[in-house]
Amino acid sequence: MKSTFKLIKRFTKALIFSVIILFVLNVVLLFSVTYTSLSNAGGWSAADELSKALILSPDGVYTLSESGKEILKERNAWAILIEDKTGNVIWHSDNLPEEIPMHYSAAEISYYTRGYIEDYPTTTASMGDNLVIMGHPKNMYWKHMTPTFDYQMISNIPKYLLLFSGLNIFVIFLIYFISTSGVLRSVKPIVNGIEELPEGRDVYIKEKGLLSDLAKAINRVSEKLMRQERELRKKEEARANWISCVSHDIRTPLSMVMGYAGQLMEDESLSKENRKKVTVISEQSEKMKNLINDLNLASKLEYNMQPLNPKDVSLVAAARQCVANFIDSDDECKYPVEWKIFDNISPCIIKGDKNLICRAINNVLNNSRCHNPDGCNISVEVKEKENEYMIVIEDDGVGVTDEQLTKLRNTPHYMLSDGGTTQLRHGLGLLIVQQVAEVHNGKVCFDHGEKGGFLVTLLFRKTK
Amino acid sequence: MENNYLKRKKILLVDDEEKILEMVSSFFVREGFENIKSASSVSEGLCLAKEWNPDFAVLDVMLPDGDGFLLLKKMREFTDIPVLFLTARGEDEDRLRGLGLGADDYIVKPFLPKELILRAENILRRYYKHENPTVRLAESVIDFERAEVEKDGKIYPLTAKEFELLQALYRNSGRIVTIDQLCEAVWGENPYGYENSLMAHIRRIREKIEKSPSKPVSLITVKGLGYKLVVDDNK
Repeated sequence: MKSTFKLIKRFTKALIFSVIILFVLNVVLLFSVTYTSLSNAGGWSAADELSKALILSPDGVYTLSESGKEILKERNAWAILIEDKTGNVIWHSDNLPEEIPMHYSAAEISYYTRGYIEDYPTTTASMGDNLVIMGHPKNMYWKHMTPTFDYQMISNIPKYLLLFSGLNIFVIFLIYFISTSGVLRSVKPIVNGIEELPEGRDVYIKEKGLLSDLAKAINRVSEKLMRQERELRKKEEARANWISCVSHDIRTPLSMVMGYAGQLMEDESLSKENRKKVTVISEQSEKMKNLINDLNLASKLEYNMQPLNPKDVSLVAAARQCVANFIDSDDECKYPVEWKIFDNISPCIIKGDKNLICRAINNVLNNSRCHNPDGCNISVEVKEKENEYMIVIEDDGVGVTDEQLTKLRNTPHYMLSDGGTTQLRHGLGLLIVQQVAEVHNGKVCFDHGEKGGFLVTLLFRKTK
Repeated sequence: MENNYLKRKKILLVDDEEKILEMVSSFFVREGFENIKSASSVSEGLCLAKEWNPDFAVLDVMLPDGDGFLLLKKMREFTDIPVLFLTARGEDEDRLRGLGLGADDYIVKPFLPKELILRAENILRRYYKHENPTVRLAESVIDFERAEVEKDGKIYPLTAKEFELLQALYRNSGRIVTIDQLCEAVWGENPYGYENSLMAHIRRIREKIEKSPSKPVSLITVKGLGYKLVVDDNK
């Protein structure tokens, strides 16, 4: 819809601009035309000149001087001189048409002065008390017979001008809107359709009217997009299902390996050496179990198939529970955890999925355990900053090299990468930490610890 | 000694995998449980549940003639014994569905024998607590039925809050119960800001159960995290 408004705005601007241009053009044209025809008012001045060219000789006979004759000839006009007292023609030019009367009453003079004598347009001039009438060719002038205007009207001309131009502009716009709204009506569904396309909704536009070809094309594009998305989704689902099925099938046999290995570990009759071997089997199968769980969760998080049901989660409580479980599971006390927290810290509540957050924290703790088989000290701290909460987990174990760290930060996990799989990449555990943080609009930072170990910081934005 | 009454409980195992049944049953036998029977389908399990009247059931979700949810639903028509689901399906919906139907716990395969036994014992202890209401600690005995503690021949009654706290600790005895979990158990939803009251209650409990409350041996503080109840079960 936004683009339609823009379109209307632009059209309106163009319209206003063209109206102004037209107006200016017309005024210029009007002035130039009237200026050239102004000389046509010369009919009256010619009559004046003619009256001056008439010469009264001492014997009372009128003659026309050469210049006067020239005027008549030039204009192809005739002239008469009417005596004031009698109304008789006392002089006329040689080319006087026959039908011109030779006597005039006062009423006739008044009429002829305003109008025509036998269809010849006239102009007049005075010569003493007598009247000179000049007759022009019939198609030379058009005369206004009643040249009288209301004074009111003349004084209101500026107002009328404004009214007329306003009315004109209004009508122009009305016509414009009626005509464009028709076009817009047929454009609107198409614009809407195109705007909806990127949002992945199914778009169908009626293939009718002015732009039916466009509508057809958009419908085809939408159909194609939907089909592609369906196929992609199907593929993703198939992959996630496949992972879930495989992990399901591995679980049952693995539980037997784990179960019996666990049982053997407690068998007193086993030799020390064999007990050691069973312990390795048990530990490794535990790792496999975690891997399966992680794999499943990672694939679900990746395809967003696990709906995140957000509830109020206290990060302090979640971290505390994870640490407690970790300590409980650490029978040999090889991984003492130091719990650092300010006494008066808030519960650090965010909207999120508690299971997922615990999973992330557990994965970081397990990561320390995994990489430090001889044990290490771990510290867990929950901090509150202005806009975010931080869970900082640090160990004093073997740590990471700079090279490993760069790889960890930059290389995508093999599951998310379409490149070769020969390169060494980090395990699923930390990937899940990353995914969980992302699902909660958070971040994970990996770094060297102050004590030379590995440092993981989980950042969660505060929920308003 | 304390747990002898638990070991006599009748346990029903239902799983379609013969070998799993064998293994799980061996776990229970090792721990001293005496009455264990197993079934490998919904119909078989239902039959046993009706005729044998088990006290506790461990059910698999995937069964050849239906699923564990269906079996539990049918069992619920005539019995309300505690149930633990044991399954290879870790999906959240499954977990919630199981718990929604009234299962007491849910373990995803693969699992450690220790984990299964601990959870099963916890469920049994909680469910049949009236049969053996006393819990022996280093210096005292808690009687949950009467809500009182006996120390040096003297009886100390427990307040409601102290009772709930001890129950929560006992349910997870030997494990750390976090401050948040304890507050939630006593004050319910939105349990934040009760930490000072919690400390006061813990202090009063210690006065009742410990010989020297300043040097506790039964109710141990895990700094910053929570508390742990150490039960003397003569093992």
